Amino acid sequence: MSELPWGVHGKILEVDLSSGRIEEAPLDPGQVADYIGGRGLGTRLLYDRIDASCDALCPDNVIVIAAAPLIGTNAPTAGRGHMVFKSALSGGIGSSNCGGTWAPAFKSTGYDALVIRGRAASPVLIDIRPERIEILPAAHIWGKDVHQTTEALQAGEADRRTRVLCIGPAGENRVRFAAVMNDRNRAYGRGGPGAVWGSKNLKAIRVAGQKKIQVKDKERYQSGLEQSFYLLKQAPATKRLLRDLGTAGLVELINLINMLPHRNFLDNRHRDEDVENVSGETLAKKLLQRAAGCYLCPMGCQRHTRVGDKKGEGPEYETMVMIGPDCDIYDLEAITRVNYLCNELGMDTISFGGTLACAMELFERGILQAKDTDGLELRFGRSDLLDELARRIAFRQGIGDRLAEGSYRLARAFGHPEFSMTIKKQEIPAYDPRASFTQALGYMTSPTGACHLKGGYAVSLAFFGGTKEIPRFSLLQSPIGIRNMHNLGIIQDSLGVCRFTGYAFSYDPWARMMSGLTGLDFSTARLEEIANRIAAVERLFNLAAGLTEADDTLPARFSREPILVAGEERVVSTNAVARMRMDYYRARGWDEQGNPTPATLESLAIGKRKSP
Amino acid sequence: MKKKTWNTSEDVLRLFQTVGRASLLYDIQDSHSGNMAIRHRDESGNDWIVITSTGSQKGDLEPNNICFLSPAETDFGYYKASSETDIHARILALEGVAASIHAHTKEIAVVTLDDADKPNQPAPFIPVDPLGYYHLSGVVPVDWMAVPSGSPEMAKVIPERLAEHPATVIQAHGTFAKGRTLKEAFFRVCIANNAGYVVRLLKRLKVDVEGLRQRVWDSPQASFSYPPPDYTIDDDDVCDFPGETEILREFQKAGARIFESRLSPFHSGSMSVRGVGSMLYAPKASMPREIGGPLREVPLEVEDGDSPEIQVHKQIYAASDFQTIMHCHVPEAEAQAHFVYPGDDGPLDRIVPIDAEGSFIHLVIPVVPAKTGIAELVRLLHDYKVVVVRGGGVWAVGAQSLSEALHHPSSLREICLYRIGAFEQGLDLRRMEPGKARNW
Ligand code: SF4
Repeated sequence: MSELPWGVHGKILEVDLSSGRIEEAPLDPGQVADYIGGRGLGTRLLYDRIDASCDALCPDNVIVIAAAPLIGTNAPTAGRGHMVFKSALSGGIGSSNCGGTWAPAFKSTGYDALVIRGRAASPVLIDIRPERIEILPAAHIWGKDVHQTTEALQAGEADRRTRVLCIGPAGENRVRFAAVMNDRNRAYGRGGPGAVWGSKNLKAIRVAGQKKIQVKDKERYQSGLEQSFYLLKQAPATKRLLRDLGTAGLVELINLINMLPHRNFLDNRHRDEDVENVSGETLAKKLLQRAAGCYLCPMGCQRHTRVGDKKGEGPEYETMVMIGPDCDIYDLEAITRVNYLCNELGMDTISFGGTLACAMELFERGILQAKDTDGLELRFGRSDLLDELARRIAFRQGIGDRLAEGSYRLARAFGHPEFSMTIKKQEIPAYDPRASFTQALGYMTSPTGACHLKGGYAVSLAFFGGTKEIPRFSLLQSPIGIRNMHNLGIIQDSLGVCRFTGYAFSYDPWARMMSGLTGLDFSTARLEEIANRIAAVERLFNLAAGLTEADDTLPARFSREPILVAGEERVVSTNAVARMRMDYYRARGWDEQGNPTPATLESLAIGKRKSP
Repeated sequence: MKKKTWNTSEDVLRLFQTVGRASLLYDIQDSHSGNMAIRHRDESGNDWIVITSTGSQKGDLEPNNICFLSPAETDFGYYKASSETDIHARILALEGVAASIHAHTKEIAVVTLDDADKPNQPAPFIPVDPLGYYHLSGVVPVDWMAVPSGSPEMAKVIPERLAEHPATVIQAHGTFAKGRTLKEAFFRVCIANNAGYVVRLLKRLKVDVEGLRQRVWDSPQASFSYPPPDYTIDDDDVCDFPGETEILREFQKAGARIFESRLSPFHSGSMSVRGVGSMLYAPKASMPREIGGPLREVPLEVEDGDSPEIQVHKQIYAASDFQTIMHCHVPEAEAQAHFVYPGDDGPLDRIVPIDAEGSFIHLVIPVVPAKTGIAELVRLLHDYKVVVVRGGGVWAVGAQSLSEALHHPSSLREICLYRIGAFEQGLDLRRMEPGKARNW
């Protein structure tokens, strides 16, 4: 394909922080047709540009931030940016998606993707403006938190479209689960992108632009757009629930279906009044100031809250549960306060909570002792320690230095990796996999390590997927169910739209909008094919990075220690793990080791990796 | 000496009760109409005609509504048994027949009425839908009777008809059908009624039914996708995946919904859930809750001996990522697929919803000819999730669940009912169809 589709600018910005070189490269139009944008395009650009076996924190790691064709249109939620990199946590592919307004601002600079490599000799920021692109010194903001950095870089800006993407102290100190933040509180959270930025001495990227995109076939685009809004207004989650209760509205529901983790996933037993304390309903009554949405989002799940004098955002469901019940903490204000702090310091709250829960279990078992924890009694339920621990982690002080490595490296350092509830060294989010095979398999096969979103957002499939709900404990149905949900997520991430639109619809409206926007064939069949292609490239990246099928598994706890689900004792047996993994590979056209077969590679026209 | 006892076994009672209830659900009986009979050999080796009692409520049969009669002589049982026992006894005496049903199948009864002077020989009924055509041997005899209920005349004519045909209609009364089992006989009365309903709908849509009949008669192969699978009688209790309890429930729920919501007549259609190497397959998708049907686990690869029906499932899976498939014979869609817009010279190629929900869920639903190839069918299923095959039923798919696939024929039925209703009222469908649907 030689002609550039509509909806993209056709340009990639390549920045080498070691040499200071800034170059513009043409976007291959065929890659838009084959990988769309966002996660798909980013993954392909990364795969072609990196030696996947490199150390994630060395200059050879590459960061790609990709916009998507729909960004810049009026499609609902189409403002989500995607960042791919080698993960500081898993060593495999890092792939992180984020709302907010930075990605649309970036696309309006006239680029479709930004590729960053190398390491600056001292802290820098990248400044992208209509008239010039520069790498500027950032010593004056190094050490500042995310809010301070954002304010400093927006202060005095005449152009109100200016947006800032930055790291906080956690990223600077290469905390392995450090996030990259925009709009102060929106995070590219998982997999430690902040640590990779920190390792490159990259503090921030400031953007401002005014380039627009045009729609090729307005009528076709409009039919998809209208359908999407109709369906969003119809589905309970998208029309009202997310706005009224935020994602924390799930706390009670997930507890009801016996999936709410407790004490580092030791069990799923909670007292009802404790759960109520940390529910979305209580959050709405006690702390919520207002709901808000990301760019062009009609759902508005953001929680703008207040604790005492302090205002901030959150907590979302995952934050609430991982820092809360999973640490045996049911103190809403403490959880919310440390959520604010994590945003300011630039840390992923899921891995933060999961790492604390692991440390607490190690302490309770006597594996970690007071001498290791700066004298802190790091027991379950210690909500009073949260703020202090967040700071120590971000600045790598004392026990914080150990915790900053994430729970897997922490538990392994103390000889007990089995107490780390991680997959591919990334902390498992707040749904117990023993309560649903689809959830378990989703975590296992998520290319980025345990992730509720990259793992196919299985919980929505099993419990509130409407007509799409599938059985929780079907070995037969889970592999294809999860493969299909992975695929939908891949497409949503590649279109630059929010996962939660999936509560209302899957491919159809997007297929129409994309076909109308670009003038290319983006039928549902084609989107499925593209998703399969992107999944295969992510797999190739992970294999090249040294990950194997042995990494697609669950911590032993989940096959050995049962929890009660609807009155029945449930584990995910090792046989079930092996069968589902194998069937998932087969469903993907991968061999027993999870290598995409030559036939699969050929049918997906993946082609050889370009030399880095 | 036979033991004169009416102590029915649980199995026989359950069979009559479940089929009786299903016949009420399918609206082919009134509260007390119709009758059902089987040949039965009890544990002691005694042969019986088992038949519903006269005036019994078929939807709520009690043990004492099931009569056991001698097949060879008049016994006291005849006092209580159906007034049409003589007819059933003679049907049951036919070679290979072990069950018979008489039902007030209003659709086919109404569509076979005539206003000719009596006595006369009414025209036989020729189905134009694939189920009716193939399962009813292409033609259903219709007879006028001076005494159209329980008469000796009926006891003569009906068995003669059924010696040649699976089902026969008594004008202004209903259908009699024979079967190797009671379920097969029930299947046939349902198919007959459905065939009548399709024709009635076609008439409401002002489709040239006689022209269509002629085409079907001249070339059934060209008119229908393929013959539906033969009705099987010995596998209804088979379940190859008892351990998959949750999926089992999904099949049972979907099967009951298809039947109760009239998305496909009793034990017609098919549905499947795909695993990685095999698929779970219900070859009789329309399954009332208490009756069920076979549930098989079969390889995904096409095998020798596979019916055309199962092959379509396998071929769709081979060419797509779908996880579930449903094939239903929705009568309203069957009829709508033959609709010709005033001024057009051929049937429509897309059904455009005019109702609110339908028009947003399905902007359009493609209608394709009977012989459409798999590649085209899969392409359309990707884009539309549901496709109407003219003379081949409705195919629908789901990315995840059976329930997802089920939603399509179900909403399609409503869409068609809206369109048929609007047309009957003289409304201009084209004006009512959303403009945006034209280009999609
Ligand atoms: S639903 Fe929530 S996360 Fe998604 S785009 Fe809207 S506000 Fe952002």
